[in-house]
Amino acid sequence: MMGFGISLTLGAYFLAKALYMKFRHPLLNVVLLGATLVAVALLLLKIPYQAYLPARSLMMSLLGPATVGLAVPLYRNRQLLSRHAPAILAGVGLGTLTSVVSVAWLAAFVALPREVVLSLLPKSVTIPFALEIVRLHGGSQALASAFVVATGTLGSVFGGALLTRVGVQDPIARGLAMGTGSHGQGTAMAFLEGQEQGTVAGLAMTLAGITTTLLAPLLIRLLVKA
Amino acid sequence: MLRVLKVIAQIGLLSLFVWLGGRLASLTGLPLPGNVVGLILLYLALSTGLVKLELIQEGADFLLRHLVFFFIPAAVDLMNWGGVFYQYGFRLALAIAGSTLLTFGVAGHVSQWLRRRNHPCVS
Repeated sequence: MMGFGISLTLGAYFLAKALYMKFRHPLLNVVLLGATLVAVALLLLKIPYQAYLPARSLMMSLLGPATVGLAVPLYRNRQLLSRHAPAILAGVGLGTLTSVVSVAWLAAFVALPREVVLSLLPKSVTIPFALEIVRLHGGSQALASAFVVATGTLGSVFGGALLTRVGVQDPIARGLAMGTGSHGQGTAMAFLEGQEQGTVAGLAMTLAGITTTLLAPLLIRLLVKA
Repeated sequence: MLRVLKVIAQIGLLSLFVWLGGRLASLTGLPLPGNVVGLILLYLALSTGLVKLELIQEGADFLLRHLVFFFIPAAVDLMNWGGVFYQYGFRLALAIAGSTLLTFGVAGHVSQWLRRRNHPCVS
């Protein structure tokens, strides 16, 4: 079953990726499409979700080294980072704070339950950071990954137009906003605008993940009712 | 074949940093995950020359190229959470859209303002 679960997920990944490469539409998200294919296959073959769990934990054990690997692009682009340090650090810091505080307030305003609110807080950071934040502080990993993907899709579909609309023209600032607000999916869009935008977006994505992880314990205590 | 072994060995080295990060977090009692502490440790190790880029870059590039794959198993669990979207769909959309809009605006404007202040001649 372990081998079957992994093969199934690999098959779904390559199929979803091929579809995305063919149409290149941001709504064809590889995570959601791949997960839907796996879920449908499990339901059709009448395999209980529990039977998929050993394969799931084996595959997800590689998320740790993958996250650590983000140090490599960060290190490769350290000159870009230090050249624009004030703009990048302040943009990521205040952007991250805005993301977490505003979603907590909006969620409280519309009276969402605590577990859903906790899963919403890391919505702007890439999935490995979001999963760890939820694992340490409460919430659901599945909901958190769905909210991360929803945020990424929204940002990659409307983010560029929105930035133009509110008067952000500077390429570094645009890349930074896309990486901070919409993680990897925003970064992919930023690379379509240009190499510089994409590289800054990738840096912003990693820095936003680190910042959110560091701030999470404090912000949760301040913003989320027990 | 040699390349495959190299990638596997490098992923092993990256895993060592996850483990070190986790150990450091639990020793200091900080509520931080091992992967994030490990990321910071690896960045410091690269910056100080303790670890050479060649020692890990193929493993890291491989994992990052297929990063999306590792998110799929986490999202499969959504099949157990359909009710939440049915019950709270509109409120969730409102919270996510509102907050994402604000985040883009703040992050973009803060960095654009600082860039123009520090490099008035550019753009």
